[in-house]
Amino acid sequence: MMDGVIRIEDFYFAYKRSGIVLNNINLAVRKGSFTVITGPSGAGKTTLCKAMTGIIPYYMGGRYSGDVKILGETTKCRRISDIAMRVGFIMEDYESQLISLTAGEEVSFSLLNHGFSPSEIDARVKRALEDVGLPGRKNYQLDELSGGQKQRLLLATVLAVHPEIIVLDEPASALDPDGAIALYKQVSDIHKRYGTTIVTVEHRMDYMLPYVTDMIVLKEGNLVAVDAFQAAAGEMYKDGELRMLLPSLWQVKFGLEEKTGISFGEWRSEEEAICELKKYNFTGEG
Amino acid sequence: MDEKNKLPELVEIQPVQDSYRWVAITAMLLAIGIILHTVSPNVGGVTPNWTIAMYSIVINLTNPKLSQAAGIGFIAGLTLVPSSKSAFPLGNLVSDFAGATVCCILVKAMIFAGLGRWRLRPLITGFLATVTSGGVFTLILKFILGLPWTAWLYGMLPVVIVVGILNGLICFFLYAPVRRLFYVQEEDEK
Repeated sequence: MMDGVIRIEDFYFAYKRSGIVLNNINLAVRKGSFTVITGPSGAGKTTLCKAMTGIIPYYMGGRYSGDVKILGETTKCRRISDIAMRVGFIMEDYESQLISLTAGEEVSFSLLNHGFSPSEIDARVKRALEDVGLPGRKNYQLDELSGGQKQRLLLATVLAVHPEIIVLDEPASALDPDGAIALYKQVSDIHKRYGTTIVTVEHRMDYMLPYVTDMIVLKEGNLVAVDAFQAAAGEMYKDGELRMLLPSLWQVKFGLEEKTGISFGEWRSEEEAICELKKYNFTGEG
Repeated sequence: MDEKNKLPELVEIQPVQDSYRWVAITAMLLAIGIILHTVSPNVGGVTPNWTIAMYSIVINLTNPKLSQAAGIGFIAGLTLVPSSKSAFPLGNLVSDFAGATVCCILVKAMIFAGLGRWRLRPLITGFLATVTSGGVFTLILKFILGLPWTAWLYGMLPVVIVVGILNGLICFFLYAPVRRLFYVQEEDEK
């Protein structure tokens, strides 16, 4: 996996007054992948996200060693605003990223700052709002939007600059299950439509199980696994603490594999699981 | 993990201070100052000068260049001119220019003397900035109105000093929360 749109090499990081938060990270995010970063609380997931967007270490400061390359270019000495044109970032506290009065102003803010022409901005705002399922809401005040709609608006602000990579830090943390499912469906649609590489931090992986292709697993700042989803999930299952973070369907899958010795397929939905289990004459009884 | 044995040498880098961050913080706090200045009741002829308190906090927070501090003072004075009820509103331009400049010099001197983290720094600089600004403003009034020196010395300066104490206390109590809200980097988070 060392050829990728984001490459992190021998990377160590500590905040100004903390111990090591990321310890010898070596990974690559595949172009066009839907990658999830997961791990227990305090594993360094958010810090890794910030490293992938250049916020760490060059904007926030701290102590580091190693290198982060985005689309082949090191993040060293590069301005956040330049990196943001290629890597969109949605923070966990999404409200703090919303700064305008209306949805249209919010989406056009970054475009205005980068000097796009008014006609280009209008076209991109319209398209981005349509892409996230908020057509015709350009003139809506932000307080007229629900939490889920604000999340989608933020996605539109990122989409409007046409980034090659979108990094999301626990985007569904403030959403109810239906909202989380709808958000990931939206992200997946964008992923499929534009081929955008998606990197998202998530510890409730059930929502994204149908879409995820690759996984990065962290624990206490160390990289446990970085691989295709199935292989990385296998690594997670070996660790008692990480096992609990797997999608519940996959916990069942690995449990059954252990008991029966049968190797099941890549279950992406309950329907797929039921279908395969029926093939093996599992009835759910006894 | 035995960090000392296994870690490579880590490079320490300072956070990037956005070139215009101080402008945003100044604008925000001056706006808050203007609102408070407008709504603060006058008690016994004395009311804190929120505008001076706010630019003192800004200067303590951002440690701007002397020219930037002078600009902050000038703009702060400009915001006071329209709402001033004094005999010579334009005096604010000069007095706040002087107040902000003195505040900046004091902040730089204290940082140079190793007192950058001293908790009383905002109190002292806020007090002296207010006394400077108030002193200059009342001095201008004294000349414009042709008042005797005794009126300035015994009538005006005591009020300026009382307002200075109030402002010093405002700076002291607001500095830490304002710093936490608007200025501190997320350096301790994981």
